[in-house]
Amino acid sequence: MTAFAHISVRGLTHVFADRRRTLRALSGVDLAVGRGEFVSVIGASGAGKTTLLRAIGGLLRPTSGAILVDGVLPAEAQRRKTIGFVFQEPALLPWRTVIENIRLPIEMNSRGSEARHAEPERLLTAVGLADFRDYHPHQLSGGMKQRVALARALAFDPSVLLMDEPLGALDEMTRTVMRYELLRLWEQSRKTVIFVTHSIPEAVLLSDRVVVMSSQPGRVVDDVAIALPRPRHADVERSQRFFAYADRIMDSLAKGSALAPAAAQAAAGG
Amino acid sequence: MLLPLPRLLRGARARPTEGVSAAPGETRALTEVALYVLPPAVALITAAVVWELWVRAADVPTYIVPAPSVVLDRFFAGIGFFAKHGAITLAEALAGFALGAGVAIAGASLMAHSRVLERSLFPLAVLVKVTPIVAVAPLFVIWFGFGSFPKVLIAALITFFPVLVNGLTGLRSVKPEAHEFFRSVNASNMQTYWKLRLPGSLPYLFAAFRICVPLAVIGAVVGEWFSGDRGLGSVIIVAHNNLDMPTLFAAILTLAILGVGLTVLTWQLERRVLFWHESNITN
Ligand SMILES: Nc1ncnc2c1ncn2[C@@H]1O[C@H](COP(=O)(O)OP(=O)(O)O)[C@@H](O)[C@H]1O
Ligand SMILES: [Mg+2]
Repeated sequence: MTAFAHISVRGLTHVFADRRRTLRALSGVDLAVGRGEFVSVIGASGAGKTTLLRAIGGLLRPTSGAILVDGVLPAEAQRRKTIGFVFQEPALLPWRTVIENIRLPIEMNSRGSEARHAEPERLLTAVGLADFRDYHPHQLSGGMKQRVALARALAFDPSVLLMDEPLGALDEMTRTVMRYELLRLWEQSRKTVIFVTHSIPEAVLLSDRVVVMSSQPGRVVDDVAIALPRPRHADVERSQRFFAYADRIMDSLAKGSALAPAAAQAAAGG
Repeated sequence: MLLPLPRLLRGARARPTEGVSAAPGETRALTEVALYVLPPAVALITAAVVWELWVRAADVPTYIVPAPSVVLDRFFAGIGFFAKHGAITLAEALAGFALGAGVAIAGASLMAHSRVLERSLFPLAVLVKVTPIVAVAPLFVIWFGFGSFPKVLIAALITFFPVLVNGLTGLRSVKPEAHEFFRSVNASNMQTYWKLRLPGSLPYLFAAFRICVPLAVIGAVVGEWFSGDRGLGSVIIVAHNNLDMPTLFAAILTLAILGVGLTVLTWQLERRVLFWHESNITN
């Protein structure tokens, strides 16, 4: 597996240290994600999910461990525009319209036309915002903003998409709708995705694999392959196997945080 | 009296998200005119009437306090004169403002980029700030002569510090998530500056502009007190020396009109530029 992995993480350890304290956020994390695979990372708050994603995306230099994305180091993958990032906060530029926000990453292309990029107008349509092309972020709902953030992350047509709780800030109804839109979008494009979430149903519905992390220090405690057939529809959420997967993940979360059962409860509830 | 103006402008502006009908919006604009223009106008007129009655009843000599009617007479009789000198003061103030704000923004950009530069340059800026303008104004006359330049320089000096401080705060107060996104798309420092930091600092800059535009006018007037025979500052000095109170008051009136006009203009520009900012988003 690792030999062909699109993203491979080995022995990843990260320690946040300042003058007063040191915090072991990640401890010996191994993870391999195949090309075109959708992997969810689930774990209690503080389990190091964001730190893991930032390290893979080249935004943070880990204390130790090896990471390869598309065969190169994260920083180089970032330079090659291999990676698209969606954060929990959409962080759109409020003075730019929807289409201008989507275009932003393309403007960053210092090497001119060399890097391939998707047509912004097509992305706009893909995320269902064609009618809102010239709106500004303050005129959009939370779900729409997150769709813009998704389109923006896809602007370079990256082969890897890293998403850090992209639906976390949305209300439950919007979240459910967006979940299926994401599923549809991914089933069309089949990018390599690492998707961080607090929600077990969300992880099971979307993923080929669910990686369960425990906290303090953050490490992988379970890796569950989700063998539900694709394309997946709403009815899959009511199937026996769906519940079986959800139970298994809940158990792993509970086991992983045996010292802090409240945290597992919180994660299971989300 | 100046406070309600932004509310008024806000009410008059079309709201893109409100596609209903024009009528309620117009009614609201009218109501807002009634609410925000009428009361200060009534207050102003009442004050003028009381002033006028007092001067007449108590027979106050014109060389001490002229009646509003006398001031208005003088103002309209010499409107060309006041307009000419007002234009000179205005030009000096605006040139000084542009110079001061430009240097301040450039300085803030440098300091935001490097803590070392900030540590070395900021104390200099503080030194400039704490030096009383009135003390350096005569010096500027000695150094730069009787023309417009020393006045422009004083207006620039007054503008400099607030713009520098706010600009620095603005350039530094980028949302961490937005910064993280710029890093994730491998943006250069220059791209981050032009596309994220500078536009993001505009609300802070405009807050400084609002303070500095009237201050720049004061700077120009103070400069004119010390030298030259052009501009409202020198008109005031000459009128004062001649105990020509109607002219002095008419010059002050001209300054007030300039101040109100510039303030409204600044608000309007701010609303246009910062349409996306929380402070300008209605309903
Ligand atoms: N920049 C940082 N400096 C210090 N500690 C941090 C920093 N970022 C995260 N941490 C700590 O590392 C741990 C893991 O954080 P994070 O990766 O954000 O967890 P998660 O995303 O799973 O909630 C937490 O205990 C958090 O307080
Ligand atoms: Mg997180």
